[in-house]
Amino acid sequence: MKYESQKIAYPYFVVALLLFVLQVVMGLWLATNYAFTLPQWLVNVFPFSTARAFHTNLLVLWSLLGFMGATYYMIPEESKRELYSKKLAYIQLAALVLVGVTALVTIFINGMGITIDNPWFNFNQGRPLLEIPRWLDLLVVVGALIFLFNVGMTILKGEHWTVTQAMLLTGLITLSLLYLFGIPVYENETIDWYYWWWVIHLWVEGAWELVVASLTAFALIKLTGVNKEVVEKWLYIEIGLFLFTGIAGTGHHYYWLGAPRYWLYVGGVFSALEPLPILLMVIDVFKWTRERKMELVNPLAWTYMGGGALYHFIGAGIWGFMHTLPQINYYTHGSQVTVAHGHLAFFGAYALFNLMFFYFAIPEIKGYRIYDDSRGKLGFWIMIFSMTGIGLAFSGAGILQTYLERVLGLGYMTAQAQMQFWFKAVIGIGIVFFIGVLRTVTDLLTLRPKM
Amino acid sequence: MEFKAAKWIFIIGTSISAMILLGLTIDTHRQVTALTHADQLTPQVIAGKAVWEKYNCNDCHTILGFGGYYAPDMTKAYWRLGAEGIKVRVLGPDKVFANSMRKMPKYDLTEEEVKNLIAFLKWVSEIENNNWPPQDQKYKPGVNILVAGVGMSKGAALIKEAGCLACHSLGGVGGLQGPEFEQVKRDKDYIKNYILDPRSINPDATMPAQRVSEEEAEAIAEYIANLKEGRK
Repeated sequence: MKYESQKIAYPYFVVALLLFVLQVVMGLWLATNYAFTLPQWLVNVFPFSTARAFHTNLLVLWSLLGFMGATYYMIPEESKRELYSKKLAYIQLAALVLVGVTALVTIFINGMGITIDNPWFNFNQGRPLLEIPRWLDLLVVVGALIFLFNVGMTILKGEHWTVTQAMLLTGLITLSLLYLFGIPVYENETIDWYYWWWVIHLWVEGAWELVVASLTAFALIKLTGVNKEVVEKWLYIEIGLFLFTGIAGTGHHYYWLGAPRYWLYVGGVFSALEPLPILLMVIDVFKWTRERKMELVNPLAWTYMGGGALYHFIGAGIWGFMHTLPQINYYTHGSQVTVAHGHLAFFGAYALFNLMFFYFAIPEIKGYRIYDDSRGKLGFWIMIFSMTGIGLAFSGAGILQTYLERVLGLGYMTAQAQMQFWFKAVIGIGIVFFIGVLRTVTDLLTLRPKM
Repeated sequence: MEFKAAKWIFIIGTSISAMILLGLTIDTHRQVTALTHADQLTPQVIAGKAVWEKYNCNDCHTILGFGGYYAPDMTKAYWRLGAEGIKVRVLGPDKVFANSMRKMPKYDLTEEEVKNLIAFLKWVSEIENNNWPPQDQKYKPGVNILVAGVGMSKGAALIKEAGCLACHSLGGVGGLQGPEFEQVKRDKDYIKNYILDPRSINPDATMPAQRVSEEEAEAIAEYIANLKEGRK
């Protein structure tokens, strides 16, 4: 760390980690909803829908806060100057925390059945992942504008214009613009979902990949000392492939929503290629580590980077590929197979990335490069093994559901009854995962220099 | 590879993919009116979509396969449950799902909201979406096709087509809310009257009156009554 204002990243990381813990608590509660019968009075007050909205929105918020903190950490060093405004960065964090807390309260109230008869003012938009009330979206936009302004001004006033920086900024601007497609009230359900995927798919398989790949490239150069130009060259190729397969790959969500039939071909072909850039990234990360120019002073951050790349490939690449072809997706669409893929992909691509960056940046922010990583290593491995177990348990449930409900045509609940074992397994393994998360989060919040 | 070449791979790759998405989006907009029967998007259907969103239904149920996986997909709910079936579930989930291992929250929907919601689900069920979901396609073919094609008795075909199996089960297949048909120990006339107006026999009945003709009710009753005898 070279600039004082990079420290602003730390409060972002702390809030992100606390939200991560809350997300996992909600996950355990959702699994309980699946595995056991809850009393009607509880369902009337705190239904599954509310808990699911919490679980997914917390994921989005802590991921974004991690990206933003990491951006604030990277930008001064790349631009070779202090951040444009530390004050704005604090105001932005406060605005986003306010959005988060307000959203949790309003979604909870909506879940109790207290509603407002107007789609702009109701306490819940009622569209998965975009639940937060539309009027609250205005505050999100303000937060995003402050962020982009602050980052943009730092880059403009700096003496350096690097590829990594340009990619990151492009990713962040695209991310913000795409969010706007999620705000209008659409009358046609098909069109509604069509543009819903412009937010969700083009985020996670487009803009987010851009942001994360740039930030990873930055950390990679710092960790291994390899030549910046070579890393940036590969960054171009990887992101080029990510976007080439990912943008038209949006079509794999358009198979069954009432869009023209050619989406079966476009979505199938492009999304079948989506694992390639991830594989390239895995090869890259391992290659740079082998050819590193300096000693690895932060082995745990490297473990996270290598582990994250591999897990990204397994969760997003393999689990995604398994059901992306329309012939298979016809039977697996909207089943627990999707749930398995979602958990493995988000954990591999985004959760592990954020944790990698936290382990990379926090020791620097605190002013010591070598820290005791024994607790952190334990946390990493507990999380890796238990999340794999969760993914496999959901896959077990998903295969059963696909066969019983979609192939044999049994009723929805008849099939679900057969899947109970796997939901109970998710609770058991989920508790282990939760322990791993607590271990990791407490470690990150109390890092200490190695004696 | 040169740095410049890498840069061009990025620019060209991204542009091609973006052009495909944008071009096909324009064409999708052209075709979507016909595919979704958007000309039938009446104010009632639009109001029904607002009801669907107002109560956050979509975070438990999927629709077009998107949303929460905690409860059945609603794309073809209108085929599977019919207007009455939807109404009775939305207004009294605590009663309908009293014996179910999964519950649905009871919200205070007005009669008007329920009507709008049903109109919305009916409209969604007619979207031409490449015949998804597979499990609900069986509700579509007419009774006559089953009678002629599979050699089913009319009563059995009606049980399948009128949505009886959404609540009741037959041979272990179907819903858990109502009694299994094999366990119904009543005669034909009793069953027939029950189908037509359950509350005329049991004032506390949760089963809604079925929209079938008297003749159809008789065919169903005959099938169920014989089922019992056949088992003895």
